[in-house]
Amino acid sequence: MSTQSMSQGGKLESFSYDDEIVRFFVIATLIWGAVAMLLGVTIAFQLADWHVNLGLPWTTFGRLRPLHTNAAIFAFCGNAIFAGIYYSHQRLLKARLFNDVLSRVHFWGWQLIIISAALTLPFGITTGKEYAELEWPIDIAITLIWVVFAVNFFGTIIRRRERHIYVAIWFYIATIITVAVLHIINSLEIPVSLGKSYSLYAGVQDALVQWWYGHNAVAFFLTTPFLGLMYYFVPKAANRPVYSYRLSIIHFWSLVFIYIWAGPHHLLYTTLPEWAQTLGMAFSVALWAPSWGGMINGLLTLRGVWDKVRTDPVLRFMAMALTFYGMSTFEGPLLSIKSVNAIAHFTDWIPGHVHSGTIGWNYLIVSGILYYLVPKLWNSKIHSLKLANVQFWTATIGLVLYIISMWVAGITQSLMWRAIDESGKLVYPNFIETVVKIVPMYWVRAVGGTLVFISFLVMIYNLYKTAKAGVASPDPVFQAEALNDSSLEHNASSHRKLEGWPMIFAVLSLVAILVGSAIEIIPAVLSNKYIVKMDVVKPYTPLELLGRDIYIREGCYLCHSQTVRPMSHEVLRYGKASEAAEFVYDHPFQWGSKRTGPDLARVGAKYSNMWHYRHMYNPREVTQGSIMPRYTWLFDNKTDYQSLPKKMSVMKTLGVPYSQADIDDSIKNAEAQALGIKNNLVETGGPAEALDKEIIPLIAYLQRIGVDYGKSEVQP
Amino acid sequence: MKQEALSQFDMPWLPISGLLIFAICFGVYTYWTYKKDNKELYDHAAMIPLAEESNERGN
Repeated sequence: MSTQSMSQGGKLESFSYDDEIVRFFVIATLIWGAVAMLLGVTIAFQLADWHVNLGLPWTTFGRLRPLHTNAAIFAFCGNAIFAGIYYSHQRLLKARLFNDVLSRVHFWGWQLIIISAALTLPFGITTGKEYAELEWPIDIAITLIWVVFAVNFFGTIIRRRERHIYVAIWFYIATIITVAVLHIINSLEIPVSLGKSYSLYAGVQDALVQWWYGHNAVAFFLTTPFLGLMYYFVPKAANRPVYSYRLSIIHFWSLVFIYIWAGPHHLLYTTLPEWAQTLGMAFSVALWAPSWGGMINGLLTLRGVWDKVRTDPVLRFMAMALTFYGMSTFEGPLLSIKSVNAIAHFTDWIPGHVHSGTIGWNYLIVSGILYYLVPKLWNSKIHSLKLANVQFWTATIGLVLYIISMWVAGITQSLMWRAIDESGKLVYPNFIETVVKIVPMYWVRAVGGTLVFISFLVMIYNLYKTAKAGVASPDPVFQAEALNDSSLEHNASSHRKLEGWPMIFAVLSLVAILVGSAIEIIPAVLSNKYIVKMDVVKPYTPLELLGRDIYIREGCYLCHSQTVRPMSHEVLRYGKASEAAEFVYDHPFQWGSKRTGPDLARVGAKYSNMWHYRHMYNPREVTQGSIMPRYTWLFDNKTDYQSLPKKMSVMKTLGVPYSQADIDDSIKNAEAQALGIKNNLVETGGPAEALDKEIIPLIAYLQRIGVDYGKSEVQP
Repeated sequence: MKQEALSQFDMPWLPISGLLIFAICFGVYTYWTYKKDNKELYDHAAMIPLAEESNERGN
């Protein structure tokens, strides 16, 4: 049955699509994509050669890496999502977007958010939570602009001229609902100032909420919207319906239901309750089914047109994107199996996996979508199929170099970490031995990343020439029958009726993701049940608190974890395995997800103050071969003691047991502790003028990490 | 490891309830989706992206 034969019983109406807003988002996608990839290449070279950090605070790895991830996810992918959704949404519903003004507010608001990120992250204004680094004023702006997007989106559904809500739109609905829930819950924090806040959660609780968010940011920002776009653009480009619409329904509900459970696989072998870890692993493995169901559905849509894949860049990019989607969604569940995770976690295998998804799936499918959209939006033809071909192969070869080098680096380093000889000692006790070994792989990764970046520039040129050869004509006028008063079809099946009730459908999607979320959030809320506080664990002193904020500002957590897993080689290397009670005052938690450098959970009291002083000034003075940047500005910047009373008051509000006297005397106590460290430095040959510099609180914090429990007699 | 997991598994009602909800929902929507009566409607739905432009008359 064709759509034309389905009478909707309404009068014929004229309408046009707002394609100008799609053009805006397409241009923004190209600009921010280039920025994100340039940043990615920059930090890849920084890991290969520390000189590329340039010795400036705002160009250091710890500050540029969050900028890269935010630019790639929210600027590049975000704008691509909005372009694709606004184009397909109007056509699938035969309705112009709900409100042109809202569309423009959405566009310019989102660009303003991106610019705000670019103006804050390099200056160390960060919450210290991966993929959610933006500070509270920007968090609020994101919420408001997301609401604008949602109103525009659902308003269009209400004004639609097509009864059935096509499956692509279901994925968009799930995206809008879930991203809102994730963002709001994970961003709950109490402001200290305009550019500083502390997370509402601490330690294990914060970790659980953060990785529930972090994992599902991948799921509902980098997966579900692109699957929706896949269900629209692949059939359009192939000029044939999706292989199995029924499979797409099973795909949708299964994915939305299961994905949200899997967050704890980021926290295996940590102090998270064991059952939550096992559950996260089990549901991650279960994700194989819906993920591959979607991939197979997409690829089989190309049945009968595989010959076109050779010549049509749109189909070629989409076919390769689906293939990489299949590979990365095979690898993801594999990595969440505990025995595999024990090897892979904290190593470079994880960035390799992440980029097989973000480059292989997101970048390539965006390329396919853009090669479809730009000729239509500018009434033109693709400028050069040859250049599209060059882009395709450059990106693919670059990505393969990236992935393979990270596999090799990750597995090599992990095996070196774990190696124990017959006498029960570590074969490679110095962490730096395991770093030096994989630096050649960092060079290969940087070259691979450069190829991907070049491929993107080729696409920009190709699409620019495509657009320039055409013209962005005024929006054409179409006609379609209006719907009856009721958007429901009589005698339709129950699920069919459900698909006609967008709001109820949205609520059910919300329920689906909340069921899985509850499994993760309830243990977090009830964490007191699991965590028996230890008397030996005390809140940070005022100076240590200042030092911790500097640690967060410099993005130390991006290269150093702070959690010792209960594994013999980790206990041998670092000390006692971490306990949940150690982190009850950590707002936010700083467990990290990668060990480019060693874990720091037991670094307190391990080295002298002078060792830290020299290490931060020039890491290679104390660790030959180190790839850590120099932090020379910490020796010039003055310590901000005046912020202490407010910071401690906020911590007190969050439940940290500071007394009013602690707060009132915070500056005096911090200065006294700083004097002690300075005197110790002077005794060992350090300069006296370091007293009021930021290096002092940082040393105080580093010397405190993990000491309370790690050096105590308390046994696990 | 298994014993450790089981010993700390003191909120079994939580994941089991979630699992049951998921299993029931999965059964229900799979049944609905693959009911023979719905085939025609889903065939129609699958054509929406392709029909959208041919169904409109550009001026």
